[in-house]
Amino acid sequence: MLPYAAKRIGLGAVQVLAVAVLAFALVELLPGDAAVALAGDQPDPANIARIREQMHLDEPALARLGDWLAAIATGDFGASLVSGRPVAHLLATALEPTLILAGLTLILVLPLAIGLGIAAARRRGRWPDRLITTFTVGLYSVPEFALAVLLVSVFAIGLAWLPPTAVGVPSLLAEPAVLVLPLLVLLARPICSIARLVRAGMIEALDSEYVAHVRRAGVSERRVVFAHALPNAITPATAQIARTADWLLGGVIVVESVFVIPGLGTALVDAVNARDLPVVQGIAVVFGATTVLVNLAADLVAFRLAPRLEVAR
Amino acid sequence: MSPEPPEPNTTASGLVSPRSPEPERPESGPRRLDPDDLSHPTGTLATGGARAATHPTAGAPSPRNRRTLLAPLPSGAVESRHTRPPGRRRSLRERIALALQERFALAALLALPLGIALAGPFLPVADGDRTQPFDPAAPWPGTDYLGTSVLDGVLDGGWGIVVTAAAATALAFLVGLPIGLVAAATRRRWLDEMLMRPFDLLLALPSLLLMLLLASIAPPTAWMLVLIVALVNLPDIARIVRAAALETAHRPAVEAMWLQGESWWRTSIGYIARSILPTVAADAGVRLVGAFYLVAAASFLGVGAGPEASDWAVMVDVNRGGIFLSPWGVVLPAALLVALSVGLNLLFDRLLARKAAA
Repeated sequence: MLPYAAKRIGLGAVQVLAVAVLAFALVELLPGDAAVALAGDQPDPANIARIREQMHLDEPALARLGDWLAAIATGDFGASLVSGRPVAHLLATALEPTLILAGLTLILVLPLAIGLGIAAARRRGRWPDRLITTFTVGLYSVPEFALAVLLVSVFAIGLAWLPPTAVGVPSLLAEPAVLVLPLLVLLARPICSIARLVRAGMIEALDSEYVAHVRRAGVSERRVVFAHALPNAITPATAQIARTADWLLGGVIVVESVFVIPGLGTALVDAVNARDLPVVQGIAVVFGATTVLVNLAADLVAFRLAPRLEVAR
Repeated sequence: MSPEPPEPNTTASGLVSPRSPEPERPESGPRRLDPDDLSHPTGTLATGGARAATHPTAGAPSPRNRRTLLAPLPSGAVESRHTRPPGRRRSLRERIALALQERFALAALLALPLGIALAGPFLPVADGDRTQPFDPAAPWPGTDYLGTSVLDGVLDGGWGIVVTAAAATALAFLVGLPIGLVAAATRRRWLDEMLMRPFDLLLALPSLLLMLLLASIAPPTAWMLVLIVALVNLPDIARIVRAAALETAHRPAVEAMWLQGESWWRTSIGYIARSILPTVAADAGVRLVGAFYLVAAASFLGVGAGPEASDWAVMVDVNRGGIFLSPWGVVLPAALLVALSVGLNLLFDRLLARKAAA
């Protein structure tokens, strides 16, 4: 376990570093003079000079890279080009709604996906399985915004059961009704992929010799499923759970935009549209580091569950 | 044994890992044992036999039933793997009817959005005059935020997304296929590492984030979107091609060709590339759906193909403000996007399942 963990953590550290360098390189990749490109709609000389001075564009790139890495290590992401507020401050205010959304999704996704997968596997070939399988295959990569808009028009406008957006809500947790539709949309994709894998793993496990053996030994069906088949069935799904972090962050961006939730995703889209590069860089580092960490955790868990499968990365 | 065809409607059988035993393998013993029976080991044999004998179809002299009836169960039969709960049996005719129904449903799901997307721009529709935005009095399906008919937008809006996604997938394969192939076929380890390592880093970033980052510095044109989506899909394609080609590259046939002094081109293109084609074709469907998802999401977030382009995703975005007044301007394009995505998913899953069964 330890050598593997050390190796995997080392790779994770390199990945985080690479994400930071990539975010930094965004400025370098801008066509032409970066300050002019960033000024965009307001190309007056004063504005260009301000941007150049604020981002230290006169210094050599390598020196700036060193400064940038040292700065983000201390939590200093620079200041927004548009509002002039420190990026770290922007991130802190936008973090809470995103954390609530992502956290609740992560809490809900595993029980739901595993439950669906087990239910389908135990009724293989019959209508519950066919229903679950068709749904999980069909909804696998439906664009979240389209799904969200359809749900809004049915449940918020047609039936008027739930609020259509989170506009005017002081805190997401204060009004849980606001959270229902965003969570449904966020859950759709990860549930589909994980449930499919759990179903496949469960079918294999339930057909195995050891399950036949524990059944013959008189073990109750519940124990057979949950204590014997499930731990073996779930290992292939662990790697997929890591990919979930990827989709979750992508989904959060879209879902926040549809439901007008002032989180990191909304901040990122606004910053991209306004070419506010320091903010884009800061959010990219936060998102990238989160993904790397979740991947790392999932790999370690997968290794712990089944050490014989060297999870090649 | 009995020539029972595999049940045609277990659509996801392709998802079951190849190691899992066939779902229907009537080997020996009581075919359908209840797990409840099995939890009482002493009663298993008797119950199993009795069940087979009293089975409604037991009167028919099918080979399987005769065997269960005549030969007492060997003790090894209990060791059989058929311990899952009994499923409802369907007759062959029922099953064919069901499969046909499913096929029609799938065809309808796909044909409608795909037909509108591909043929829509060429349909002659009378250009109505602009009226007021989100006009509730306008004929179905109402007007959009500019006051033009939603129908116009729906007919013209699919083409861009579908073509962009297809082009991006094609481009990604055009680049990813050679990279994966070279990485697998080379005998120099550093070349393999150099080609594949950068993708590990790309994979560490959420794809939508990567796309937004690239779009933040690139000018918003349709070609740029194709390039970006292709780049986002590239790592997965290169990895899958490499994995498939690695397996092929270690076959004795390749070793023999290598020893014979066949040229590198003949070995890698003529043999390895050709033999991984089925794997690549199966993967292409998944990639196309993924590219479609990314293109639609990018358009919706406003980093897609310029502001003047009006595709279904952009329609959903810009007409959102009037969803209370004229819901069809949002619901129609969103429903088409969902239908197309679901249809493609089900279609490719079905193709994969058939390939796995073959």
